[in-house]
Amino acid sequence: MPIYLEDSINTSPSENKLSNEAQQASAMLKLSNKYHKKYYHKFLEDQPEINYETFLMENTKGKEICQQLQDYNEQYKTLELDIENCSKAVEELLPWEKMDIPLGQIEKSKYVEMSTVFFPETVIDDVVKIVEDANAQIQFFGNEKKEVSALIIQTKEEMPELQSKLKELGMREVILTKISCSASEKIEALRNKIQQDQKEIINIEQSIKNLSKDERDIKLLNEQYETKQSRENIKTIKTNETVLLQGWVCEDRIKKVEKAIAKSVQYYDLQFDKPTEEDQPPTVTRNPRFWSQFETITDMYSKPNPSELDPALVAGPWYWVIFGMMMGDVGYGVCMFFVFYFFRKLKKPKGNSAKLVNTLLYSSFTTILFGILFGSYFGETWHPILFAPLTNPMKMLIFTLIVGVLHIFSGMSIKIVEQFKSGHPWDAVFDQVSWMVLITGLGLLFLQTTRRAGAIMAIIGATIILCTAGRENKQIVKKITGGLLGLYSISSYLSDILSYSRILALSLATGVIGMVMNLLARMVSVNILGIIVALFIYLIGHTFNLAMSLLSAYVHDSRLQYIEFFNKFYEGGGIPFKPLSIKSKYVNVNTEENNKIER
Amino acid sequence: MTQGIIIAAFGAAICALLSGIGSAVGVQIAGQAAAGVTSDQPDLFGKVLVLQALPGTQGIYGFLMAVLILVQTGMISGAPHSISIMQGWAYFAAALPIAIVGLLSGIAQGKTAAAAIHMTGKDPDSSAKGITMTALVETYAILALLASILILFSIK
Repeated sequence: MPIYLEDSINTSPSENKLSNEAQQASAMLKLSNKYHKKYYHKFLEDQPEINYETFLMENTKGKEICQQLQDYNEQYKTLELDIENCSKAVEELLPWEKMDIPLGQIEKSKYVEMSTVFFPETVIDDVVKIVEDANAQIQFFGNEKKEVSALIIQTKEEMPELQSKLKELGMREVILTKISCSASEKIEALRNKIQQDQKEIINIEQSIKNLSKDERDIKLLNEQYETKQSRENIKTIKTNETVLLQGWVCEDRIKKVEKAIAKSVQYYDLQFDKPTEEDQPPTVTRNPRFWSQFETITDMYSKPNPSELDPALVAGPWYWVIFGMMMGDVGYGVCMFFVFYFFRKLKKPKGNSAKLVNTLLYSSFTTILFGILFGSYFGETWHPILFAPLTNPMKMLIFTLIVGVLHIFSGMSIKIVEQFKSGHPWDAVFDQVSWMVLITGLGLLFLQTTRRAGAIMAIIGATIILCTAGRENKQIVKKITGGLLGLYSISSYLSDILSYSRILALSLATGVIGMVMNLLARMVSVNILGIIVALFIYLIGHTFNLAMSLLSAYVHDSRLQYIEFFNKFYEGGGIPFKPLSIKSKYVNVNTEENNKIER
Repeated sequence: MTQGIIIAAFGAAICALLSGIGSAVGVQIAGQAAAGVTSDQPDLFGKVLVLQALPGTQGIYGFLMAVLILVQTGMISGAPHSISIMQGWAYFAAALPIAIVGLLSGIAQGKTAAAAIHMTGKDPDSSAKGITMTALVETYAILALLASILILFSIK
């Protein structure tokens, strides 16, 4: 029987309710965070571990706490509103504080009328005069915001006339709420009420604070809602009795998926298909542990598409080496090692941030290595094995350019392998090998002894490019212009290689700033006070330099991979594989599966 | 103190000065964008801070060059070498690339960083792309620094 998809998709009504609860839980988490102030502590706090079964169970304690928090929060808000209203009322009554008549008695009687009014304070003398002329009575009370409050008493017949006269002077009549007590008594009562409310608020805050100690349960509740929501958000096709669910599964986990499904449902039909031509399967990269950490760098550019080699295998080690060259200092390398080692120990980062921390941790080794080679120790030069970049910048420049050429060549080699695999070996020779020969030849030209060989290689390479770069075109003229244009891209190769000179610049920057800090510290350390200041300079200066150098090395090393290296072979554009999983922020959920994914 | 030394000192001053201004303006431009994004999404503070720090490197390069000039001329140790007027001008010339490129590229990079910060605000996952885009601007400051260093070390 065919199932018509459009008819059978129905959004579940439970979705809305769930998100309400989830929203409430996350709001309560924020509330408890506000009262749970232990920032430095929080940083060191390790994440609680929880096993999968408990995670799936209903979190009654969390819900209870959440509900209590919600109640307290509502009380808190009501009280706050009450205080606000009371203070407003007090403000309104303040001008009449000295009037000792109960406010309810200010009204029209048979012959006499009373009226509560405000005057601008500048016209008081005129007012008094007019009132006296009219044989009425007036009593002034308070003076607030340049206005004077007053009570006027006059016979009923003459009141309108008096009022119209006074209005010309800027009189403003107010009608006070009729209550049986005087203004001062009312104010007193309101103030008491405010005080009471405030006391109660303090109590509530204390209760919230107490509840916030069980923050973990609220966090867990949040995680559970989030996981639940991510499960409910999966698009399924439903009929009255069945559910159809489609998704990607890693080939090596088919068995596990089968087992898991068999465990949770009794009747089911499960089918695995290989991706067809039209499908766009997501990409999963599997690399040995060391290499897989550098995936965080390549993935930021783009995931490899399923048909190409994972660049992390080659880019990873290069990133590692170039990072070391850019930092190139033993002292900073050791600092990096300890900082990232303890960061990993204490914070137990997960997913991509774990990979990034590991990348930086590994890079501390190359930093130390190149530090020894360049003889750099916290910016001081001491017995370099190769040479010191600061005193031999030209040597360092040539060294970096050679590294650049090798880096680019390794990228082109990957392209050669790919072209061979896809059955285009001649493309590899014409487009890659020819350039490698030409660039090597040009490089050899600089050396006296290999000049001849270099010239020959350069000419061979250039000739191949000239003859073959236009081979795609049919017309002869276009073939020739194509060849010339092809040769012109030498400029892009040269600029790519020159770009590696940034390694020199960054290595010098790290070294020189470190050196300056040492110099400054030495200049001030003339007496004991100076030595203390010097210690501060060492500490702050080197920390700053380390942080800035790390940022620069991270950014520019990535850039060398993305722009100079990847454009030789890498296409990317793969869709990352995002399996349905528990993406926990606050707790570690222990499942056999999860541990394997996180590695 | 010779006249050559004074010209070289001007060189050291001008590269720290101009590239410092460039970085300050650049970081300010990026900082305004970063504050805007952070006020809306406080979680992104770490990501936008990295982007905001990027235009700061020009100032460091300028400072670096100033120190190198001071080291090469011996001024930093308080015993300047005897430097002719010609050599003094050569030191001044060495300061110019990073001074001027540092000033302009710092500001330009600040604008790019601001755009990248806005992009990060809309899509936090694209912050790495933003970093790369911003870093492209810095290439020219690095090349200028390199030119400055090479001129400096070729002064005989």
